[in-house]
Amino acid sequence: MSSKIPIEELLRWRAARAEAEAPPAPRAARLLEMARPWWEIRPERFQAFVERLGRIQVACGHAMGEPRQSRSGHPVPTLIVRAVEELETSVRVLYLNVRDGRLRLRFQLDAATAQAQERFDVTFVSDKPERPLLSATAIFSLDGEYRIDTELSEELAHGWEPLKVTDRMPFRLILCSDKDGG
Amino acid sequence: MTDEIESIMSQAARLESLGTVARRQGEEVAADAYFRDALALALEAANQATYGGSHPTRLDTLRAAVRFALDCGEVTEARRLMDGAFSAEASIKFQDEWAQLHDATAWPDTWLIAAVRRDPPDVQALEALANRYWKPLFGRCQLLTLNHQKASDLAQEAWCRVLRRRHALKPGGNFPAYLTRIATNLWRDGYRSALRAGPMADHRLESLDAAHPNEDGESVALVDRIPDLKALSPEDQTLLAMDIDEALEHLTPQLREVLVARFITGESCAEIGQRYGRTEQSISGWVRQALREMKLHLEAASRGAAVKA
Repeated sequence: MSSKIPIEELLRWRAARAEAEAPPAPRAARLLEMARPWWEIRPERFQAFVERLGRIQVACGHAMGEPRQSRSGHPVPTLIVRAVEELETSVRVLYLNVRDGRLRLRFQLDAATAQAQERFDVTFVSDKPERPLLSATAIFSLDGEYRIDTELSEELAHGWEPLKVTDRMPFRLILCSDKDGG
Repeated sequence: MTDEIESIMSQAARLESLGTVARRQGEEVAADAYFRDALALALEAANQATYGGSHPTRLDTLRAAVRFALDCGEVTEARRLMDGAFSAEASIKFQDEWAQLHDATAWPDTWLIAAVRRDPPDVQALEALANRYWKPLFGRCQLLTLNHQKASDLAQEAWCRVLRRRHALKPGGNFPAYLTRIATNLWRDGYRSALRAGPMADHRLESLDAAHPNEDGESVALVDRIPDLKALSPEDQTLLAMDIDEALEHLTPQLREVLVARFITGESCAEIGQRYGRTEQSISGWVRQALREMKLHLEAASRGAAVKA
């Protein structure tokens, strides 16, 4: 006897089997704890990073005031936080698009400090008042850029929609090598 | 029910209908306002019933108020009202309508999500929502990652993402589809990052856009010893699961994702195409390609098993 089983049936069978073997759902309290952003868990660390970002802003204030004659805009003060070091630098936004509540952003690290890393957890910090706006993952591409594609809150989407890449960005960045704020 | 209470409650019911429509249309601010107004009216009616209405009228108005409170995510208020009703009439606790209101696991998604959106989120509602969708989410994650631990991590991470943006959740939306989409996006980000394959992936996608022969690639012939999936022994089920995983592993991540979206999530080729920015025909071609590759791999595995036997 020969039988033909459609592949979609096999896939559904496999999915059902996986569901049956699923571990128990995590408890709500654990999910809520896991979902807390790093700046809520370690507010003093966030404050220290913000102060350093302020110093970078002063240091490269001149450069930020006068964008280069290129398609990219003002440098964005950036703090890179790795396990063994913290680097004060800036990034250059190459592309920015806010549409349908999503932010699509490409940026390049300052060449002098750039040390390519596969991904960063990026925290956007507003200028004044200094508060965290959102965090997203930036992924390194082969062309040497980092790309972010993330959902925005309604408030941010509304505020950032008119932004052009040549505008001064209303945020500074903290680039962490892990999602716990370094 | 007195005329006045009846009039108030019919106003509240109208507001509830408007809220339901607004919610369905994704206008959550308007929906929330309608439900809150309905709640205020129901509370007023309950208050009037306490002093001048009958006992059943008071319970009816309280029950409506509980429903409106849950509609707008005011779970604490809903519980307070339920406690009030239960102390007025203990026996109602076991009536179906009240029991359903009391038990968060019986709430529809809209109430659970409205409760999770609030600050702080209601833990019982979150627990119920997580339990309701954990297994299907894990099943999809398993098919994408082909690894139990990675599937569990991915499913948890998807939940974390959802909770970080919980204020933006739409109680009237399709929550399980949203959760699946978040998990899929996370997985896609992960493999893109792992491969660092921006241009390479584009190249591979383009190659998949090429015309595909219109063949019937959707069925795979299994060997005679497997006449029916339900009749398989536990050992054979394990082997078959391994074969399917292996066949999925041989697909490009994009093809694997498209197969899961098409046959497990149940999305149409047009819907998948919208996410990828591709035409329905392109996605249909990808699906056929994926099925053909799966078929080849499974037939090879099946032949190998027959030879060993």
